Amino acid sequence: MSRNSLEKVLYDLSTSGANKKMFAGDPTKFLSRYQLDDEEKAMVAGYKVREIADRGVNTMLTWGFWLQSGKENHDYLKVMKREEA
Amino acid sequence: MAKIVGGFIVPHNPVMYFNPKGPSQQQSDSIYATYADMAKRIKELNADTAIIIGCDHYILYGTECLPQYVISTGEIEGPVDQLPGLKRAPIASHEALGTHISKVGFETGFDWTVGRSMNVDHSIGIPHHLMVKPNEGMKTVAVMLACGVDPYLPMKRAWELGEHIAEAVTRFSGNERIVVIGSGGISHHVGDERMGVVNPVFDKKILDAVASGDKATMLALTDEEILRDGGNGAMEIRTFTCAMAATGAHGGEVLNYEAVDSWITGMGFAELKVTEL
Repeated sequence: MSRNSLEKVLYDLSTSGANKKMFAGDPTKFLSRYQLDDEEKAMVAGYKVREIADRGVNTMLTWGFWLQSGKENHDYLKVMKREEA
Repeated sequence: MAKIVGGFIVPHNPVMYFNPKGPSQQQSDSIYATYADMAKRIKELNADTAIIIGCDHYILYGTECLPQYVISTGEIEGPVDQLPGLKRAPIASHEALGTHISKVGFETGFDWTVGRSMNVDHSIGIPHHLMVKPNEGMKTVAVMLACGVDPYLPMKRAWELGEHIAEAVTRFSGNERIVVIGSGGISHHVGDERMGVVNPVFDKKILDAVASGDKATMLALTDEEILRDGGNGAMEIRTFTCAMAATGAHGGEVLNYEAVDSWITGMGFAELKVTEL
């Protein structure tokens, strides 16, 4: 488990348009740059923000990560409250 | 000799810009009127410089390097997280004062990280936009504290930093008249499952401590208590602590408080009393 690397990838996605574009185009290739195991890569690629936050990742990042994808805020809250979207 | 002539604690809520119709018109008007009153008060104080104490939100500093406290010693630009109606732009910087404070710190045990061409986020950008910029000719020193990302700046260290800023100002050779602005929300949850929950009881405790200059109450707050009762966003009260110390903790007056559910934040405003020497 690498909370630090999870935070790094979410930070990179929230602060760089180029990274967002690369991630949207080929998430597998983009995530290969980071020291994440397969489970962690799947969580990021699948926008599993609840599971990511449960690993100690700062929720400012999980929220920003969700919103940068164009997903709705009310769906984010459902997921975080384990009500699912 | 430069002087701190006034102080304030204010929120820096970006949701105001994204969702302006969220609260009632009365609530919104009340909040914006308070910012405008503070801008007028800065003018009454004949202030020419603002030291704005903000905090990063995992926007400026990433996992590669997480500073405890940063000060501008050169140009300032922001907010990098642009908002509707508040675009990224240069902010008039008081480079000499920021540099002086950092140098005094290096000599006295405060190892500042310096921003020689510093980007700031909305925690500096919003109070600058609503309180400082309306007063033409004012310059700013930006201070960022680690409030949003762990390891957090200890509350005690935030207090000490405020005292250090005050002491350094008295050693500055200019005649600046300075206001100190502690910029932060009180209760709010950013991105977690309690987002939207505001705790007026906690908020009142903080505002009472600010208004009475109650150092003991502020420093007795543990991170666990703040996170439990105020949420992760409430860690920003470190900026209040720093501003209280910088103004001598003479107490002050709460100017407004609104618990704004739709803006997900307990928004408190106070003027800090300053006793001029």
